Amino acid sequence: MALPYCEGLALSASKDEIRRELNRFLADVERRAYRMARIALRHDDDALDAVQDAMLQLARRYADRPAAEWRPLFYRILENRIRDMQRRRMVRGKVMALLPWRRDGEDDLPDPVAEAPDHAPGLAEQVDGMGALVALETALARLPPRQREAFLLRNMEGLDVAQTAAAMGCSDGSVKTHYFRAVQALQAQLGEFRT
Amino acid sequence: MNMNNQGGEFERRAAELLRASAGGLDGATRSRLARARAAALEPASRTRSWLDFRYLAPAGATVAAVLATVLIVGPGRQSTPVNDATGSALYDMELLADADAFDIAQESDLEFIEWAAAQGEQDGTGG
Repeated sequence: MALPYCEGLALSASKDEIRRELNRFLADVERRAYRMARIALRHDDDALDAVQDAMLQLARRYADRPAAEWRPLFYRILENRIRDMQRRRMVRGKVMALLPWRRDGEDDLPDPVAEAPDHAPGLAEQVDGMGALVALETALARLPPRQREAFLLRNMEGLDVAQTAAAMGCSDGSVKTHYFRAVQALQAQLGEFRT
Repeated sequence: MNMNNQGGEFERRAAELLRASAGGLDGATRSRLARARAAALEPASRTRSWLDFRYLAPAGATVAAVLATVLIVGPGRQSTPVNDATGSALYDMELLADADAFDIAQESDLEFIEWAAAQGEQDGTGG
């Protein structure tokens, strides 16, 4: 009877160790993950919700996977969650537009994306005035989602091509293409901006 | 940060800016992130009720809506008025179920019945 007890203790200790390891991992990535979600969703609470959901899913479903797999898994969950929220937002907008009893004033609610400054004439000239970070984030928000994902995962999170491909659920070649195009598009908008 | 294949100055500056922005989050956001992390790492049993409510509430609402629909428009709740055809059918059923009518039909002395009917008509007109 002693053996199962010992095994139970070992299992419990192992779970505690996994939890501690997972805590360290999440503490390391949570701020960058939040910035990524914030850039994509342009909404503080939505970004926090997306990160929290990704944390929960990773802890519930994938905690027993090797720690080396957590990072791409976590960002894959996060990107899926971001896409879900963007889709839901789009559907909600369409439904609201069809409602006959919708108040006229609702049209006046500011849309954060629409409210963002139009950088088409030349964002580079405005960089110093509005802040390099705001300019960069605005330009990132205007990228196609896959390009933005590739750029942020490679550039901010520091994932290599294979890890980024795992996180995005695509091939290494696609990651390189998305990243290259993202850099081109950002440079076209921002130029060699100063920090 | 893996900078081996990110030699461009642009990428380096972008990475610096983005990482600095992540590191410089305000205290309120950092606190909310820490709380979210703690909640995610709680044993499943402690957060089960929250998860249950979150995912079961919409399912429960859907089931309730379907049940209400069935109860309102189901076959057992015919609320339309009875039309003539339905009334006539009910009347026929009533006649068939009437024991007296059945007894009369079984009566062999039809002449007596005809006489009784004729007497009744005479009483009605002559009286």
